Amino acid sequence: MLGFLSARQTGLEDPLRLRRAASTRSMLSGGSDGVIVLYDLENSSRQPYYTCKAVCSVDRYHPDVHKYSVETVQWYPHDTGMFTSSSFDKTLKVWDTNTLQTADVFNFEETVYSHHMSPVSTKHCLVAVGTRGPKVQLCDLKSGSCSHILQGHRQEILAVSWSPRYDYILATASADSRVKLWDVRRASGCLITLDQHNGEKSQAVESANTAHNGKVNGLCFTSDGLHLLTVGTDNRMRLWNSSNGENTLVNYGKVCNNSKKGLKFTVSSGCSSEFVFVPYGSTIAVYTVYSGEQITMLKGHYKSVDCCVFQSNLQELYSGSRDCNILAWVPSLYEPVPDDDETTTKSQLNPAFEDAWSSSDEG
Amino acid sequence: MSFSQEVDPNVAPGAPPHRPRVPGRACSWRDPIRCRRGARPGGGGAGICVGTTPSSTGLRDDKLTPLSSSRLGTYGEGGSPGLLGGTPGEAVRHCSAPEDPIFRLSSLYPYLFPGIIKSRDMSRKRHRLVPETTGLKRRRKEGPVESDPLRGELGSARAAVSELMQLFPRGLFEDALPPIALRSQVYSLVPDRTVADRQLKELQEQGEIRIVQLGFDLDAHGIIFTEDYRTRVLKACDGRPYAGAVQKFLASVLPACGDLSFQQEQMTQTFGFRDSEITHLVNAGVLTVRDAGSWWLAVPGAGRFIKYFVKGRQAVLGMVRKAKYRELLLSELLGRRAPAVVRLGLTYHVHDLIGAQLVDCISTTSGTLLRLPET
Repeated sequence: MLGFLSARQTGLEDPLRLRRAASTRSMLSGGSDGVIVLYDLENSSRQPYYTCKAVCSVDRYHPDVHKYSVETVQWYPHDTGMFTSSSFDKTLKVWDTNTLQTADVFNFEETVYSHHMSPVSTKHCLVAVGTRGPKVQLCDLKSGSCSHILQGHRQEILAVSWSPRYDYILATASADSRVKLWDVRRASGCLITLDQHNGEKSQAVESANTAHNGKVNGLCFTSDGLHLLTVGTDNRMRLWNSSNGENTLVNYGKVCNNSKKGLKFTVSSGCSSEFVFVPYGSTIAVYTVYSGEQITMLKGHYKSVDCCVFQSNLQELYSGSRDCNILAWVPSLYEPVPDDDETTTKSQLNPAFEDAWSSSDEG
Repeated sequence: MSFSQEVDPNVAPGAPPHRPRVPGRACSWRDPIRCRRGARPGGGGAGICVGTTPSSTGLRDDKLTPLSSSRLGTYGEGGSPGLLGGTPGEAVRHCSAPEDPIFRLSSLYPYLFPGIIKSRDMSRKRHRLVPETTGLKRRRKEGPVESDPLRGELGSARAAVSELMQLFPRGLFEDALPPIALRSQVYSLVPDRTVADRQLKELQEQGEIRIVQLGFDLDAHGIIFTEDYRTRVLKACDGRPYAGAVQKFLASVLPACGDLSFQQEQMTQTFGFRDSEITHLVNAGVLTVRDAGSWWLAVPGAGRFIKYFVKGRQAVLGMVRKAKYRELLLSELLGRRAPAVVRLGLTYHVHDLIGAQLVDCISTTSGTLLRLPET
């Protein structure tokens, strides 16, 4: 069972995107008003319920603040000196954390839905950007310009994700119901287009393969990179083998998905059986990844949950929702038994105030 | 809380006033109330009796014959045979006749409301109501005989599919259509969906069943036994100009390729079909167009089935939607008369709704409750 703590966002708009820092306990969140806030997740008070403080923020008065909603934020994978944020104002901005200034800005012709930088790569600094146009753009941080375009999708790209296992493998999900796996070093088209029916594999067939029966909203690789999870607006979540693109046919049931933009969901790492945490309306549904069983629904938000992210060091889940709250979910080690509460309250009562009467009517 | 059988706690001790006995009317002070207490095992698993051992006392035993477990098991009820059929071993302290129709119609599971007996007259009236309805009405409502759908006591997809094929109304289509079950119905019988999917995939690979895309919803897959499909298609295309192409298709493509869809390359190169033959196949209804150069496998004449299915599904969902609080006990839903649009049978549609998660299944103490989801 997961209890929850709460981290109140200082801004008034809902936090759309959350990101964990790899090394320290700090978290980035981007809101729909363009504000980016950094939180310190350290629990210095000893209370089980606490509020995380915002360390600093890029607020509305900052000269470089995003004009519209921030869709994706991500820390630089190797340290927290830098982070990137992309927004509906058609830009991708690279920020220096210490001075909170933009180090670089990439401009695009269409609104940016999602971006991702490879978490494992040391050989390249490419940021994959998914925009409203059908082309996936790869921006190079070293040179400061867009180096690559990946063509193949027919509609807007709602989610992009690099593989945590291989430096050059990228997965993209689009509103045309297709998910494509790319090797960015190849000049020709994508490696695989995922097919939900696991039909015949031949090049000519690729155009008819669909991963979902609706828009594909979210992508998440498992922590070892061997499997890929996708969610779509057909209310399904599918697990794919990322090496051959096969649908593993794990059935999670109905995973309600009404989002018109991307849905950011996450997979745990470091658990004995991995869990996937998916925003489901105003709750978060928890499923085991490989068996498809629904474990629980985490209820705590008042409005729809937009994003969630998992921190593996402390096994905590953070979720942001439209009600302007970010909640932190902590695994509780035991079920709180009602008897326990009673005994604790009793022990807190000063013995001087206890009465020695018995309340039974036996006489 | 149980009381000894001789004492009827509803009546003050002492001699009751003398009243002229109306024949056939239960006299409360002579017989303690024999009411069936529906034991509702919470959730799944084996039906766990709540406490009572059935024992036969009183006048009512001949009416309350114990049903066999196959008839008892519906949608979340456990299978403890004696309990619902036999008489409980203890007198129930309070019993009041509820006014809502659940009690009158689907009296397999009478719902006992603990209430306060106002007067001896009232209690007599209530005593009479309870055993009458439990005795008579229950026998009428025997209709859908099916096993526990949410439990997968059959355990496998294959058994589930066979059972669902029994529910299909063959007579409605004059035997021109092979019996079709839906994938969502299999989910309602086999509790673990991943296992169900994998078993269906195996059956598909072995060639026992074909999975067919039903046009109205990309997610709805129909399951047909290959043999049935073959015989019906041959019968349907008998004597028509496209018979040759269809027979070639059934002989060469069906056994070789177990997929839902076929591609241009496959058809022309691997199996040697000409374009005109493919057109024949589309005219015959065996293939439907999916995309340029790719086709879904289809069942000829399935249009009528799909029409009835879609209308029936909407009608059954409408029944739940119109109920108070948008929820209905499963037993009540099955006991109601199906609206005229529902041609395929209420049980058929209920299996589909449960498996497709169009209604939430909640187990309550009076059985499974179907509730429309809020979203």
